[in-house]
Amino acid sequence: MKVSYHWLQDYTSIPWGPEELADKLTMAGIEVESIERLGPELSHVYVGQIVEVEPHPSADLSVCRIDVGSQVLTVVCGAPNARAGIKVPVALPGAVLPNGMSIKEADLHGVISYGMACSEQELGLGDDHSGVMELPDDAQVGQDLAAALGLDDQVLDVSVYANRPDLMSMLGIAREVAVLSGTTLKYPSLEVPEDGPSAAELTSVTVEDTDKCPRYCARVISGVAMKASPLWMQQRLRAAGMRPINIVVDITNFVMLETGQPLHAFDYDQLTENRIVVRTPAAGEKKFVTLDGVERELTEDMLMICDAEKPVCIGGVMGGANSEVTDQTRTILLEAANFKAANIRRTARKLAISSEAAARFEKGIDPEATILAINRAAALLAELAGGKVAKGIIDVNHADAGRRVITLRPERVNQLLGTNIARNVMAEILSRLELEVDQSAEPWQVWIPSFRRDLELECDLIEEIARFWGYDQIPVTLPANKSGAGGATREMSLIDQLKVKLVGAGLNEILTYSFVSRQRLEQANLDHLPQLREMIALANPLTEDHSAMRTTLLPSLLECASYNVSRQQEDLALFEIGAVYLADKLPLQNRPAEERRLALLLTGGRTPRHWSVEAKAYDFYDLKGLVEYVLADFKLDYTWEKGSLPIFHPGRQGRVVADGQIIAVMGEVHPEVQKTYRLPERAYLAEVYLERLLRAEKPVPVFQPLPKYPAIDRDMAVLVDEEIPVGLLVEQLQQAGGSLLRAIDIFDVYQGKQIAQGKKSVAFSFVFQADRNLTDEEVNEQLNSMYQTLHKKFGAQLR
Amino acid sequence: MEASIQAVRARAIEECSQVENLEELQQLRVKFLGKKGEVTQLLRGLGGIPAEQRPVVGQMVNNLKSELEQLYDEKQAQLERLIQQKRLQEETLDITLPGRMPRSGALHPLTLVLNEIKQIFIAMGYKVVEGPEIETDYYNFEALNIPKDHPARDMQDTFYITEDFLLRSQTSPVQIHVMERQEPPVRIIAPGKVYRADSDLTHSPMFHQVEGLLVDEGITFADLKGTLQAFAEAMFGPETRTRFRPSYFPFTEPSAEVDVSCIICRGRGCRVCSNTGWLEILGSGMVDPRVLAKVGYDVDKVSGFAFGMGIERIAMLKYGINDIRLFYINDHRFLNQFR
Repeated sequence: MKVSYHWLQDYTSIPWGPEELADKLTMAGIEVESIERLGPELSHVYVGQIVEVEPHPSADLSVCRIDVGSQVLTVVCGAPNARAGIKVPVALPGAVLPNGMSIKEADLHGVISYGMACSEQELGLGDDHSGVMELPDDAQVGQDLAAALGLDDQVLDVSVYANRPDLMSMLGIAREVAVLSGTTLKYPSLEVPEDGPSAAELTSVTVEDTDKCPRYCARVISGVAMKASPLWMQQRLRAAGMRPINIVVDITNFVMLETGQPLHAFDYDQLTENRIVVRTPAAGEKKFVTLDGVERELTEDMLMICDAEKPVCIGGVMGGANSEVTDQTRTILLEAANFKAANIRRTARKLAISSEAAARFEKGIDPEATILAINRAAALLAELAGGKVAKGIIDVNHADAGRRVITLRPERVNQLLGTNIARNVMAEILSRLELEVDQSAEPWQVWIPSFRRDLELECDLIEEIARFWGYDQIPVTLPANKSGAGGATREMSLIDQLKVKLVGAGLNEILTYSFVSRQRLEQANLDHLPQLREMIALANPLTEDHSAMRTTLLPSLLECASYNVSRQQEDLALFEIGAVYLADKLPLQNRPAEERRLALLLTGGRTPRHWSVEAKAYDFYDLKGLVEYVLADFKLDYTWEKGSLPIFHPGRQGRVVADGQIIAVMGEVHPEVQKTYRLPERAYLAEVYLERLLRAEKPVPVFQPLPKYPAIDRDMAVLVDEEIPVGLLVEQLQQAGGSLLRAIDIFDVYQGKQIAQGKKSVAFSFVFQADRNLTDEEVNEQLNSMYQTLHKKFGAQLR
Repeated sequence: MEASIQAVRARAIEECSQVENLEELQQLRVKFLGKKGEVTQLLRGLGGIPAEQRPVVGQMVNNLKSELEQLYDEKQAQLERLIQQKRLQEETLDITLPGRMPRSGALHPLTLVLNEIKQIFIAMGYKVVEGPEIETDYYNFEALNIPKDHPARDMQDTFYITEDFLLRSQTSPVQIHVMERQEPPVRIIAPGKVYRADSDLTHSPMFHQVEGLLVDEGITFADLKGTLQAFAEAMFGPETRTRFRPSYFPFTEPSAEVDVSCIICRGRGCRVCSNTGWLEILGSGMVDPRVLAKVGYDVDKVSGFAFGMGIERIAMLKYGINDIRLFYINDHRFLNQFR
């Protein structure tokens, strides 16, 4: 809402300048977002009146004699609308216009011009440059133009909260200013000079849907002289960001801005049977042309203002072209109605219309304001447009008129705020807000005026007192802690630790959107898996790319890698911890599971390039090690199995299983997927099912006494068939090694020239130790039996 | 005998002075002090002299032995010093070559900011809790006193799944979950992802909030002010000031918007704070009794305050990030700046 500083002064005296006023309002909860000077700085530009116009002797121009108050000047002018009698802005020598033009006396084809008659555009006041700007008749000749147009006004842009429709009006804002400054609020005059027949003889109003239209007031005004509105009104409208149109429309807009109650003026003679019916559209009424010339699609829940046979207005949203006020209009049916907020909001949204009227109705306004507004507008039409106001108001009123009373415990105010505000101060604040306070008994009874529909409970009154007492006056204290020590949940702490651990291992944490496109699954070769394909879809996604809740993190990491490698960031080690959203049934009927997952991605160089280190790319075992590094944080008996996910290379993937449940899947990205995501190098991807891990215990180290006797190291290399997994060999070696064997390392796996085809060489190193000194003999014996086991089970040969 | 002792001594000293390296010195030790060395021979020769002279001569040989041992040890130390000196002279590295840093990753900047916020409130006794991101209409709106047809419920703002299920548009529903399962006192913060259908330089359709809630007997608006002032000082520095402005949230009454003195210009006025000296970072207020009543709390016994803040907004201010989308693009060059 744009609030003119000058205009506001009509209703209350303001002891502050615009800046200070903005601060006061902001600190009282009426946020002023900006303050702007209404118009450009203009000097040496005055209101002039064209006295006579003659054609230029030698050019296609006119020579005007313009009265600028102190003298009558000759001004050469090219405007087609220049004519005797009109008032125009004249820039005199010394003026510099907003577009940079400086005005001097000039010889124009033999005629000396002593100034310039300006267009709106030349003055920076608008886009119109079709001719000279025509000023209203009541502009004073010789007056400084900026003053005449009120361009030196300051306009406060106020943002109004959804619960305060009363602040969508100058009077509403002025009321708060008056409370803040301790001055009184001046209401405009509401005396309506009624004349002639009664309105009831001239028209009738039938409201068929009183739920959507609780109140409808109408007046009939005849003999209206259509013309431009006076300068002061045009100034007010411009300051509020509205364009002056004609006296009737301007008055309805002016009164709406003043009172917050939208009005609509119908051309009485265009209404069939000169009467109003308020109803929803009939079966055949599908389309309606609004006064902006756009054809609108109607739906059956919209509320239409109709005459005896057809809709003439979309109630509370926008009028119709068929009953618009025109230059020919003489008699007006003036509407001040109250509409159901929710229905206005739905209608305006559906039709994508954001009118000033809808912006007010959709917040829910005071049904009592109809009378105030219709009388104010009628009085102005009589005063400014010569209208004759028919007797009486037609008032179809189904609105709830019951005045609300709220009980207030004064001691509760201080209890809740932590303040020590005196009771008389509380009462004074409330009364100045036009609330009626009955202090004769405890608790107080506070009567709420109809324009403060936001005040429902005691706490609402406490807020009013706090607002005007000043939030900055409320003390600053700390509450006593009776809840014990703070802390995160066990699961959140574990996740935090995990993140730190992964960062320490060189990975960057990423965060990606929870919603993805279904197409992502396809690109990642995962679309045929039903448990992944059953995604929870949004009813109103912003884009197809963000339309369904993800069931796996894997595509998100691939996408991130793809983005980075295309920007020369080819060495990537990334992780994300986030939820996947799994529905038991679609469409959703129960809360879905939100399972936390950890996803890891490695691609490109394993170590940063360095002058002393041979460059090496990440491989499968880097990722496997990383997964094991994560799992090591949890007490869990797990095994590795071959995996079968199509996102991975079929021969290079595995999964971790514990208690028959998958804990993690991982592998080298399938070359096809790698290609889809344009990854230049092989990439390795894992997803860890954190929920299952987080339920596992955290391992607590149990101290083992340090060995007292030296260990004996032995190496052994064997040849086996290449398809035998080393894991199996290790398992057998562990069993055969007995209690003396303390550790096994695999320090070489080799296939190549020196070895028969189909075979591989695996080299182990063992550590033997006991609680006594071991002899070479007993270690050799143990080693031999370990070898014999491999030989028997796998045909292993010593190498 | 005495003469031959002197002769051995003279030779041993003379030859020691000629020694140039450790090997030669070792040979010299063997030659004079070894099992078959010349001094050892002298000791063996003691048997051939009269018994009454033996102690005196024996003493002389033993003296010689100690003297030589000391001489050779000194010589050895001297040689070793030389060797070390030579090695130190020869061994130098180009210390301007880069070292091998362990590869370290970075936490996402939103995690960094969230961790700071969590630590501050944990130190003030708050428990950190979480709630579901896919919510029901009841928890996201109804229970928070946002009735049907409230502007905040428009399809414009909230992502819906079905009539009843939606992506939470705020972390406030966690307040309701917590109060439903717990009696006062309640002292929690609830961080998490929230979703709104809005996307530009400062709005992301997914973003993060931290919600705070404290309900107990006798909690006041002054307590809210104190708590958030303490938070602002811990988060943005001890000189940070706060400003509470009346505002409107359906689930708090009175409500307040909280500004902190601009962390860039320290309140003098700059581009970031639009020359106001203040940055709006928090919404807050006293929990509306309608909300407390809905979860079955006795509104005459307990009161509380709630607050919420956007983590992206704070991270953008803290790190000078001008486009919210950077948080979700995850450009490696962006992430690496937070190591």
